[in-house]
Amino acid sequence: MIDTILAIVTATVIAGTPLVYAALGELVTEKSGVLNLGVEGMMLVGAISGFITATVTGSVWLGILVAAIAGMAMALIFAVFAISLRTTQVATGLARSIVGAGLSSQLGRGYFGVAFVRPDSAVYDFFHGIPLIGPALTAFHPLVYLSWAIFAAIVWFFSRSRLGLVIKAIGEAPSSAHAIGFSVIGLRYAATLFGGAMAGIGGGYLALIYTSLWVENITAGRGWIAIALVVFATWKPERALLGAYLFGGVTTAQLFAQGAGMPVPSEFMSALPYIATVVVLVLISRDSSLIRLNAPASLGRPFQLEG
Amino acid sequence: MFNLTRRSFLQNAALTGVTVASGGVGIARADDLLKVGVVIQGPIADTGWNSFHDRAWKAMEAAMPGRIKATVIENINQPQDAERVFRQLAVQGHKLVLGTTFSQYATLRKMSPAISQAHFECCAGIETTSNLGVFEARSYEGTYLTGISAGRMTKSNILGWVGAYPVPQVNYNLSGFVLGARSVNPDVVCKVVWVNAWDDPAKEKDAVNALVAQGADVISGSPNTPVQGLACEEKGVWSIGSTGDFSKYVKKAQLTSFELDWSPAYIESAKGVIEGNWKPSARWRGIGPDGFVKMTTQNPALPPELVKELQEAEAAIVAGKLHPFAGPIKDNKGNEKVAAGTVMSDEALKGIDWLVEGVQG
Repeated sequence: MIDTILAIVTATVIAGTPLVYAALGELVTEKSGVLNLGVEGMMLVGAISGFITATVTGSVWLGILVAAIAGMAMALIFAVFAISLRTTQVATGLARSIVGAGLSSQLGRGYFGVAFVRPDSAVYDFFHGIPLIGPALTAFHPLVYLSWAIFAAIVWFFSRSRLGLVIKAIGEAPSSAHAIGFSVIGLRYAATLFGGAMAGIGGGYLALIYTSLWVENITAGRGWIAIALVVFATWKPERALLGAYLFGGVTTAQLFAQGAGMPVPSEFMSALPYIATVVVLVLISRDSSLIRLNAPASLGRPFQLEG
Repeated sequence: MFNLTRRSFLQNAALTGVTVASGGVGIARADDLLKVGVVIQGPIADTGWNSFHDRAWKAMEAAMPGRIKATVIENINQPQDAERVFRQLAVQGHKLVLGTTFSQYATLRKMSPAISQAHFECCAGIETTSNLGVFEARSYEGTYLTGISAGRMTKSNILGWVGAYPVPQVNYNLSGFVLGARSVNPDVVCKVVWVNAWDDPAKEKDAVNALVAQGADVISGSPNTPVQGLACEEKGVWSIGSTGDFSKYVKKAQLTSFELDWSPAYIESAKGVIEGNWKPSARWRGIGPDGFVKMTTQNPALPPELVKELQEAEAAIVAGKLHPFAGPIKDNKGNEKVAAGTVMSDEALKGIDWLVEGVQG
């Protein structure tokens, strides 16, 4: 029983990690008042860029770095349109997702169904060899631990740092923030690029660590889940993290339940992660004034200097 | 006697060296060449469903060098796109047009009678029309044999199956697998996890992990990607490639595998069209000469007596002495589905909506 629970918990963290990256990135972007619906596309382009890099060079970390850069590049194109040229953010973001899906298929043509065999790592062997805590330290890929560090940094950033407050301010009242001398455009660019990098890493993790494989549309809708998580988490990082693991956890648990022979239709089981995540997050944020209070007031609205 | 068609006339003309007019030879050649259209649903990888069709059209071209030119169109995901592409191919003079998945069947069935100048074939389908033939593999013969390996090699007596959707093709594969396993080891049970997706490798991997955590030590399913095998390798359990040989990536864990070989279907159809005797047919074949199922890699870890047992079972299936779905067979709710002394009919198999005894979940 303990073994099963441990297996479920481990699988939950692994399954939730791409969502953690993508959702936290989108959260930061949205906090600055930019709604980027291109997460799915940024994840896909990140996934294939990282996958190709890692396959060619044999280095996972180089792959992840390129995945982040590719995600950022996608976000940069979005930012040029949506922030500088002030196009509709929703339409521009959707277009990014569609372009990302097509672009990743095109880039991945020679790599479809190819598996990436991760090289043995001396660092892994070293940490794994530490008595007692070694196996626990190496239960997850370092990217999982990195996601926790980034989560902690984001929580600190928005509650304790001056820059975090400024980002929040430009998401709430860009004109006021601009009036007292902050660069709304610049900071929105920065927040959007950060979101792109995080989505890229999420995609890279999915292709390189989680499955070690490239297939078209490998994200299978996870980018959209990440966007939904941010809204249901009422733009609070700790709730986004919870939501990501909840989604991963229910996905995993329903597979275990099926294996154990639970007499529930598998179609229902497959829908369960979506249902459970929505229900729980709606429950914890059932106070609608809370959503209004937390939603960045200028979310989705292009910033234009008056006068 | 005077069965003189334009093609045969021009063929003869070309053969005897008669040139009709300037450019006449060119016309003869163009007409002599059979243009075949192949519409593939997804991208082509080096393993999995689409790769089998990719190999088949290449085998078809190679079988009649210089006589056939294939036009292959890949990544046609939506049936409405497929219809447009099928029509276009037929209009452009492709006398033989092949659909490669069941999801294209409905489109072909609807449109084929109206386009009488072309001959259509669809891989997986129900009924033929005046110019649409269907072909499909008795892949349960393959899973029956891999099931024997699984039944012999399991230590926990728990097998695992990662299912895409509970459709008849998957149901008879899974049931065949369990029947094969239980034919040599009646204590075996098989846990099943449905991922409800054809292509979500991350979920497939989670499913393997869930099955292994619950004691399964030989995992099969209908993977289109190596992810199942790779997950098994990570966990140190056996993996079986049903309709896919992933030994290129899954170096240690792949116990055995089989693939689908559609080249006989392609070659026969093309030959029929060239010789003018093509007829719409429903071909459903398993292992054997000109069959659609080919057993592939076997792991060196298989004991020699098991290898022999597998060869004997394969020979018995080819000879028609062994039918995986020979009664008595119960479903996993305890109802008798196939009576002793009878064999499940093809009709019943093609619509199978139950799973055999021993399947859990």
